[in-house]
Amino acid sequence: MTTQQETIAPASPFHGNVRPILNEVMHAIDRLLESDEPTTIDLAGLPFGPGELEHLEATLGTGELSATLNALGSSCIRETAFPGVWWLEHRNAFEEVVGRYLEITRTPEILASQDADIVAGRARLEDQLDN
Amino acid sequence: MDLLEFARGPALQVAAYILVAGSIWRFVGILMLKEKQDFSEPRQSAGVMAALKVIYTRSFTADAFKKATLYPKMLAYVLHIGLFGVVFLFVPHIMFFEGFLGFDWPGLPNGVIFFFGVAAIVSGFALLVRRLTHPVLKLISNFDDYFSWLVTMLPLMTGLFLPVRMGVRFETLLAIHILSVALLMIWLPFGKLGHTFLVFITRGTTGMVFERRGAKT
Amino acid sequence: MKRTPTVGEVLQAKGVSRRGFLKYCATTASILALPPSMIPRIAEAIENARRPSVIWLSFQECTGCTESLTRSAAPTVEGLIFDAISLDYHHTLQAAAGEQAEAARHAAMEENDGGYLVLVDGSIPLGNPGYSTIAGISNVDMLKETVAGAAAVVSIGSCAAFGGIPGADPNPTGAVSVSDLVTDKPVINVPGCPPIPMVMTAVLTQFLTFGSLPEVDKHGRPMAFYGTTIHDRCYRRPFYEQGKFAETFDDEGAKAGWCLYKLGCKGPITYNACATAKWNSGTSFPIESGHPCLGCSEPGFWDLGGFYEPLSTGKFESGERLAGAAAAGVALGVAAAAAGRRKQSKFAKEG
Repeated sequence: MTTQQETIAPASPFHGNVRPILNEVMHAIDRLLESDEPTTIDLAGLPFGPGELEHLEATLGTGELSATLNALGSSCIRETAFPGVWWLEHRNAFEEVVGRYLEITRTPEILASQDADIVAGRARLEDQLDN
Repeated sequence: MDLLEFARGPALQVAAYILVAGSIWRFVGILMLKEKQDFSEPRQSAGVMAALKVIYTRSFTADAFKKATLYPKMLAYVLHIGLFGVVFLFVPHIMFFEGFLGFDWPGLPNGVIFFFGVAAIVSGFALLVRRLTHPVLKLISNFDDYFSWLVTMLPLMTGLFLPVRMGVRFETLLAIHILSVALLMIWLPFGKLGHTFLVFITRGTTGMVFERRGAKT
Repeated sequence: MKRTPTVGEVLQAKGVSRRGFLKYCATTASILALPPSMIPRIAEAIENARRPSVIWLSFQECTGCTESLTRSAAPTVEGLIFDAISLDYHHTLQAAAGEQAEAARHAAMEENDGGYLVLVDGSIPLGNPGYSTIAGISNVDMLKETVAGAAAVVSIGSCAAFGGIPGADPNPTGAVSVSDLVTDKPVINVPGCPPIPMVMTAVLTQFLTFGSLPEVDKHGRPMAFYGTTIHDRCYRRPFYEQGKFAETFDDEGAKAGWCLYKLGCKGPITYNACATAKWNSGTSFPIESGHPCLGCSEPGFWDLGGFYEPLSTGKFESGERLAGAAAAGVALGVAAAAAGRRKQSKFAKEG
């Protein structure tokens, strides 16, 4: 999902930033299983050396389910190879990445149909039926 | 101009002028004094080699005094070696010297330097305690002794506080550290810290005088 | 004050779905460096916020800050302009010029008296007001006039925040910063040369979302982005601690990505978000590209000493002065020795 960028990377891409994140994910999974408590990790605020973000994405991998959201630009919401761990990547209308999150949850909230939209949609359906 | 700019700029420059002027003043002033005439027959000729020999041998205690002076001697060595390591083997300091010498040399990892620094500070405090409690030392110690101790310990302590920080902003701590070094530079030529460059003259002179008389020292 | 639509109403009118709105709020939380748990509060705040009027004044600047902001990914400045804020005046971006543009500025000031935001980039020359004018009005006059009814002022970039390159030695135009002139309104400094786009957007977004201004440090910079040094967040820090430094720009150490301290990096004394937020939507930042940090978000960074001089280098510019000090030392030494020798002779005669 990330664009292939040419970076002048040093010999080793590992600066020790990926492991703690994976540990945090594991603890979040524990919380989810024990008390149904979801966790969101904002990847934008974390330091990454060159190549580390790609390494994190590759480590988490891809699972069975993937969805594309088209609102104010496209967003990708996919389950990683670890069920319950979702990778969310938001892009704006110019295809620039504006947000990257890990959500440890059963279903990311943004996947569910929202009440305001359902109500607006029903109104449109009624209009169509009337005509 | 904020504190760091002042410390790195005018403060260090003025301290450098005073260090250079003061050191040369003492150096020239001592060397140009009249030598006491020795009218005795020289036993042997005494040259530079004699001076160099004693500069070296005085680093080790004479057998008779070894036991009595072992403790302070050890502390002093730890202090000097610790200072040497911290001042000359810490890469940011090496860069400081490179700034006006034009060449640099390899340094040691920061963890090792920290260890040198802690050792120097501990031995420094141990020496102070000894000076304050030893029956003879506490009688003969004067302002020079205590002030020289202070201006040597301040850069060490402020320098070691830089990685520790405890919430204080880095550039403030750095400015204080540099100012403490400036203070050391200003005091160095005038007090007993002048031994930094004078020790070689004193030991060397003693060596030459005694060698001329054929005495071992 | 004229009743302006809330941002929620504006987005709804544009056909943005609730999902789109949630995405917008999540991005906003990211920008503001707030935890994801704040998203519901942000959603509520944005829904009910009114579009604030923003007046942008450009003084002695290179336009780099506007350029940086127009590259801002999230939200895009175009998006910001049309959706979230009402940018009533920006003489680089707007089409109008001259009297009509100035009339628009005055109208915005009157309509939103006490509630509009003034953004300034560029320093203000005091040496001669004629050095920098817009529509015949000097920078200092325009600033004083526009700030009078403002809710707050944001200094965008190091020139507006600290005087920047015009203010560097010898400062030929007498350039000063915004906070040197504005003392009766809150001034937020967003320095950098240029500032990271996301940081600029964040300050605007915070004002938009919560109607408040961020917590600032002693230089007036938002703590959320200027609270830590580059050095403390740099991914090359382990190399600094291990004593592994690049000596030149193309040696093995440089290629292996070692610490750039010896090449002049000012990271230890520079407060900014470059090491975590990075540039170009998180692509990289100067150190990652192999160039030492210039310290561009610090006051007076142009005069800190060479960009390629290590931070611990003193400014021993004057070799002649040191030689002079040496000569003084010799003179004092000779004088002291002369006095000493006289004393020695006296004792010799007496003793």
